[in-house]
Amino acid sequence: MIETIIINEQVFIMHYSGALFWQEKEILLISDVHFGKVSHFRKFGAAVPQKAIAKNFDLLNEVLTFFSPKELFFLGDLFHSSLNQEWLLFQDWVASIKPKITLIKGNHDIIPDENYTNIGINCIDELLLEDFLFTHHPEERQHLFNIAGHIHPSIKLQGAGRQRLKLPCFFKSKNQLILPAFGTFTGTYTLTPTADNEIFAITKEDVFKVSLGS
Amino acid sequence: MTREELYTIAENWFQEQNWTPFQFQKDTWKAFLQGKNGLLNAPTGSGKTYALWFPIILNYIKNNPEYKTKHKKGLKAIWITPLRALSEEIRQSAERVAADLGTQMTLGIRTGDTATKERTAQKKNMPDLLITTPESLQLLLASKGYDKVFKDCSAIVVDEWHELLGTKRGVQMELALSRLKTVSKNLRIWGISATIGNLEEARDVLLGVQENAKKSILIKAKLDKKITVKSIIPKTMETFPWRGHLGLHLLEEIVPIINNSKTTLLFTNTRSQCEIWFQKILEKHPEYAGDIAMHHGSINKETRVWVEQAIRNGSLKAVVCTSSLDLGVDFAPVETVIQIGGPKGVARFLQRAGRSGHSPGKESVIHFLPTHAMELIEASALQQAVKNTVVEDRMPYLNSFDVLLQYLTTLAISDGFYPKEIYQEIKHTFCYQGITEPQWQWLLNFLVMGSQSLQSYDEYKKVEVEADGKFIVHNKGIAMRHRFQIGTIVGDANIIVKYQKGGYIGSIEEFFISKLTPGDVFTFAGRNLEFIRIKNMEAHVRNSTKKTNKVPSWMGGRLTFSAQMSELLREELYKAASPCLSGRQAKPSTGGELSTIAGELSAELKSLTHIFDKQREESIVPKPNELLIETFKTRDGFHHIFYPFEGRGVHEAMGSLLGYRISLLSPITFSLAFNDYGFELLSDQEIDMQQVLDNDLFTTDFMLSDLQKSLNATEMARRKFRDIAVISGMVFTGYPNKGIKMKHLQSSSQLLFDVFRDYEADNLLFQQAFTETFEHQLEEGRLRLALERIATQDIVWKACKKPTPFSFPIITDRLREKLSSEKLADRIKRMTAILMK
Repeated sequence: MIETIIINEQVFIMHYSGALFWQEKEILLISDVHFGKVSHFRKFGAAVPQKAIAKNFDLLNEVLTFFSPKELFFLGDLFHSSLNQEWLLFQDWVASIKPKITLIKGNHDIIPDENYTNIGINCIDELLLEDFLFTHHPEERQHLFNIAGHIHPSIKLQGAGRQRLKLPCFFKSKNQLILPAFGTFTGTYTLTPTADNEIFAITKEDVFKVSLGS
Repeated sequence: MTREELYTIAENWFQEQNWTPFQFQKDTWKAFLQGKNGLLNAPTGSGKTYALWFPIILNYIKNNPEYKTKHKKGLKAIWITPLRALSEEIRQSAERVAADLGTQMTLGIRTGDTATKERTAQKKNMPDLLITTPESLQLLLASKGYDKVFKDCSAIVVDEWHELLGTKRGVQMELALSRLKTVSKNLRIWGISATIGNLEEARDVLLGVQENAKKSILIKAKLDKKITVKSIIPKTMETFPWRGHLGLHLLEEIVPIINNSKTTLLFTNTRSQCEIWFQKILEKHPEYAGDIAMHHGSINKETRVWVEQAIRNGSLKAVVCTSSLDLGVDFAPVETVIQIGGPKGVARFLQRAGRSGHSPGKESVIHFLPTHAMELIEASALQQAVKNTVVEDRMPYLNSFDVLLQYLTTLAISDGFYPKEIYQEIKHTFCYQGITEPQWQWLLNFLVMGSQSLQSYDEYKKVEVEADGKFIVHNKGIAMRHRFQIGTIVGDANIIVKYQKGGYIGSIEEFFISKLTPGDVFTFAGRNLEFIRIKNMEAHVRNSTKKTNKVPSWMGGRLTFSAQMSELLREELYKAASPCLSGRQAKPSTGGELSTIAGELSAELKSLTHIFDKQREESIVPKPNELLIETFKTRDGFHHIFYPFEGRGVHEAMGSLLGYRISLLSPITFSLAFNDYGFELLSDQEIDMQQVLDNDLFTTDFMLSDLQKSLNATEMARRKFRDIAVISGMVFTGYPNKGIKMKHLQSSSQLLFDVFRDYEADNLLFQQAFTETFEHQLEEGRLRLALERIATQDIVWKACKKPTPFSFPIITDRLREKLSSEKLADRIKRMTAILMK
């Protein structure tokens, strides 16, 4: 269900949902939820099943219960597009949880900041904490370890008998960790690793460290 | 004017051209003027156009005796063509007749190529005779006040109906006809079809189910056309490849054929194959530069029109083409046709053969060029098929809910519709004759509420219901997006290829472009192009002198053998199995028919002696009472190959079924490959074949439920869902100049499929993906027959040391299906990530 990784002597726990927990600070990191996407599609005449909306909240509650964090960081693309009724559900959910929420804004976050600040969510473009840099778009900055989202990374696996498999993943390079998209109605983008990367694939119930082929 | 007087007008015109009307033409005139509907079965180039234009014009003359001086305005007839490239040709012949008879009738073309200005003018003032495509007809139904436009329309002719039948465009046509029947009171419906196996059914689909049989007619043009099939047999079989699909080994063989004929058409099966052949011919024979051209559906219109014109003028020696030249257009100078690779269907092969020796009475010659050794068996089967005119059926779609939803939205964005009225209309179409009241209600609910019950925070918006029960779309954005969707019934997201400085070259599937990085060079439209960037659904390129082997591949190139063709193929193969091939005397008859045909081995089969001998080294060439299974191990894993010789479709079904059943015995993962001869289950584990045989896994018991479960285990339905999602308007494609709002509406059908599977598996559109896979791809009925046949056969299992000639084309196939009963966790542990090179 989880896998642990040490970065700069800090403990990070990866959850199968795509969430990442910074143990020392008790901060939960979640990227690319894309709230409102299903409703956005429906509003424009594409009948995506509404039940998919509830799943995002169920999964969020599950991780919150599992880690009981003090703080919650969203690494961008929290809300998919312009405001719609799903915002009301989001508001109710925010009111129902304890941790303090920070949104590090992404390219999809086009709704005005007031909406967030009014319900107690701190909105910023990036966040520096000790030697960790939290952003939406992956970035490289000297002496800092970057944790980001945006890409929706996935990985292709191969095995004997011409087997192939594609799974969403945590994608770690020397100074960077890219989180998978948390949202239920989001796609993935396949990354091809080099031998220097560390990959943790996620399934519907578990996290696996992937062995890199030769 | 009496009917006799009308015929005289027509016959006089024929006399002036020094022609005599064919019997089928006269029959069609008569039936039409009697007010009948019908289907005319006539090949291209037989004068079928005159069979139906004449009575349409004569009917106008009859109703307007002062036709020479007084012109009655308004739409009188619609001519539907599946290919817009054909419309100009049709217009010319119609215009000629209309003018020669002094009618003052006007003609117009309305397709995706028609300028907006002209379209607006047409809306105000329709031509008497409108030539259009199924999509453009739908778009007319999507405009306000369409009923007035069609009010006095007296005839609709659907040309090349066999091409539409068995496709969703055909369903689109059925729906449009169901509406026109109500709107145009005196409408006659006619179809024109090339020869297919189910002509009667083709007529029923066109006319709908309530049609009174007496009111309709099926007319067959009995034109004896001599078709000669010549196979190109490699001179040295020893070096001829066991696999492959390009056929370039035999390139030199076509040179004398091209030189000895006025114009030659070379038909390839895919656009990429077309590109490659064109390049290679010029590379090996630069002397042809300027004398040969290329023609396929992704090349821009100007070039295509130029090529077509050049064929007509006789100024080209050869044209490499795809199915884009299958239809219509009379190309008199074409003397010879070459088919490269198996055509996969007799009807298609005959149609292509018919492109040569086009004028009545001339012989059609088609050369078959095999791309690998096994295809010579196919060549031999084709000879038999042509000799006995065995032609396959085109299977019409049933209950295509995606097309129906698109159609209902179309009606809702124009004048709105009342469900009661429309239900009666569609209930009488062939496609929706079996629709149930609950299904209909579900569809209406889908349009209004997005298939959910009313919930406070739902903002689903598409169709609204007015107080009197009319379903209508008020939102302009929804209407606009829907109009864009109508043309996309064929499915794939296409990217326009353009020079950076402007200049349209053609369109390629997004799939191919997405794999390119800037600087990559690829071959397209006969040019080497460097990819620069992608912008607004356009790929910008520049000419390059670099050599490349990247050729765009277009999806959908895989065709399957029809039942009839598979049977012929089996018969040919069994001839090879008979002992007389190896020079010995035929044994006394065991298989009845076999003993009589054993003596008539075709040249194609004889040339394969070498391959059959090789096959026999480790395995056998199966006899009619044998099912061959081969197993061996290579670097790739354990191969298990089954040879039922039933055609690709049946093999897909049987492979999935068997794979699923084996996977129940113990956890295992398969990669499946199929071709027309057999299928392969490849795994990292060895199957216990004895256990497969002992457990009778070929049984027809529980076949349906097992097949259904195997479908969930593979990805076939997922691929069908792609089209369904686009047609039903859930995936938006191909917008010019996407804004940010539009970008936020992008999603893939893959993603949608997952969401439906997880949250709304009872959705009719999701279900449709499975039904379609069942009925159209897997051909459940044929699978049952095949399994019953296997039950009577002896199973011969050969454990081989290395791949056999029969197995080669299958094991090297890269397009594969997956099936697994293992835990994901267990699989991941044995796999590794694919690394950057």
